[in-house]
Amino acid sequence: MTMDLSIFNRFAITKKGGDIIFCEYEPGDAFYLIQSGQVKIVKIVGELEKTLDILNPGEFFGEMALLEEAPRSATTIALTDLKLLEFNRANFEVLMQGQPQIVLNLLKLFSKRIYDQKRRFMILNFGDDHQARVADVFLMLEENQTRTGDAEDVTRVFANSIEDIANWAGLSVQKVTEVLKQFVNQRRVELHQGKIVVKNINDFTRLVKSKRQE
Amino acid sequence: MPKATQYKTNSVIFFQGDAGDKIFILKAGKVLLKSNDIETKEEINELVAAGEFFGVKSALGRYPRDETARVLADSDVLVFTVPEFEQLVLSNTRIIMKMLKVFSNQLRRMVSKVQNLMSKGVNKDAEAGLFGIGEYYYNNHRYKQAQHALTRYLAHYPNGKFQSQASDLAGKASQGVGGSPSDESASMASGSNLEAPSGVAAGADAKGFLEAVALVTQEKYLDAFKIFQKIVSTNSDPDHAAQAEFEMGRCLVFLTQFDEAIKQLTGLITKYPKHPDLKDALFFIGKAYQGKGDATWAKNFFNKILSLASEDEPVSVKTRKALKELEAKA
Repeated sequence: MTMDLSIFNRFAITKKGGDIIFCEYEPGDAFYLIQSGQVKIVKIVGELEKTLDILNPGEFFGEMALLEEAPRSATTIALTDLKLLEFNRANFEVLMQGQPQIVLNLLKLFSKRIYDQKRRFMILNFGDDHQARVADVFLMLEENQTRTGDAEDVTRVFANSIEDIANWAGLSVQKVTEVLKQFVNQRRVELHQGKIVVKNINDFTRLVKSKRQE
Repeated sequence: MPKATQYKTNSVIFFQGDAGDKIFILKAGKVLLKSNDIETKEEINELVAAGEFFGVKSALGRYPRDETARVLADSDVLVFTVPEFEQLVLSNTRIIMKMLKVFSNQLRRMVSKVQNLMSKGVNKDAEAGLFGIGEYYYNNHRYKQAQHALTRYLAHYPNGKFQSQASDLAGKASQGVGGSPSDESASMASGSNLEAPSGVAAGADAKGFLEAVALVTQEKYLDAFKIFQKIVSTNSDPDHAAQAEFEMGRCLVFLTQFDEAIKQLTGLITKYPKHPDLKDALFFIGKAYQGKGDATWAKNFFNKILSLASEDEPVSVKTRKALKELEAKA
């Protein structure tokens, strides 16, 4: 973030690695802008802590609490020592007056997150059709990466781990491994160290489209 | 410059699925946005009102259009690029605020839809949920996180139904934090070990109070301030509440919120004329005036302290030092 934020120094707070910044279910009254360090966003689902995202300097979190009285929807943990700017409803106006660009960035972030959530919903909505869920996760990842190179090339390489895929698909790692093995047997996918190769992305597009119409 | 464009009846401004980087305002005419509900797949038709933006989310979020915009009657439309749109709203921030409200509402609704699918109706109430987080980290031997979550539970629900369990686990977790070398940082340990023996009886306020005092020593004034504020607002323990009111004022001075600090501490003196920290409260009011650059009032308060306190009291020592600083500056 290249903006000069020194006028907001009075909103600066620090956290140590491992500190919880806020917990899911807590009433939320502040949102944060990361100045330095990383934040892990997690949710405890059943008996598992699932990492939803890892955020870097310049990124926001907790922003939903700002405009609506609603409990936090996830827990945030400092992954490293952190410097944060903390804003709440009362001083949000100050931010708006001083740096409307930041608030505009927030608006862009909301736009993006609404889409991400819609996309996630579409994936989860396949229910028991685990193949469709996993295939659609690859399509979503494909949509989010900007493509360079040969437009004719239908092979896609994903640097994501099976845990990542499981997280997005809302399935256990074991289930996703099973599905990926089926895909490998059908020669649709190859598994390599640290990457997953989808041999023909259009094949997944067709698969997902046909399932969605059912 | 945004481009004024005319669209004929029955033309389409954009189709669902199109990549789009433009934002539109309908000036006159009739435009219908057609989409499908992602749950029921039912068709949703929305008329754009004159003066209203459309195509904003997909352009800003850089994703495909999720509606088809069809022209029902000849229409005048202003077409913005994203930078043009940004320029417009930056000079008219009310638009940003209004959109933020709408978008945050939609986001919240989407998040809860996704959560319903993920948890299939397991709907915990917030209190049980928060306690559950502390319990989860405790059971997984992640004592630092357990302690943080449980402390928050106790702060939010000082008389909650898991109060005794939470204090019990928080106490055990604090011992775990101190004793566990695997824990990344034991920064919370010093503060929390203090209250370990106090247990359930001393209740949430004592626990919160000590944690907050520990935060002050770590210069985490805003965090500390919030805990003190909670203690004051729940007011389940008058002694702690009175102390917390003083601490709130002190934190505000450190946070350089001088006007707030003066208000807080003046209120405190009026409310508790016999407050044990009265002289310190006066000192911090003086400090706040000093911070504001109001030397006259700062001096008034510092002199008042010297007239009240005996010479060897710590507050007198501090005050004389502060007066010297003021004089050096003048």
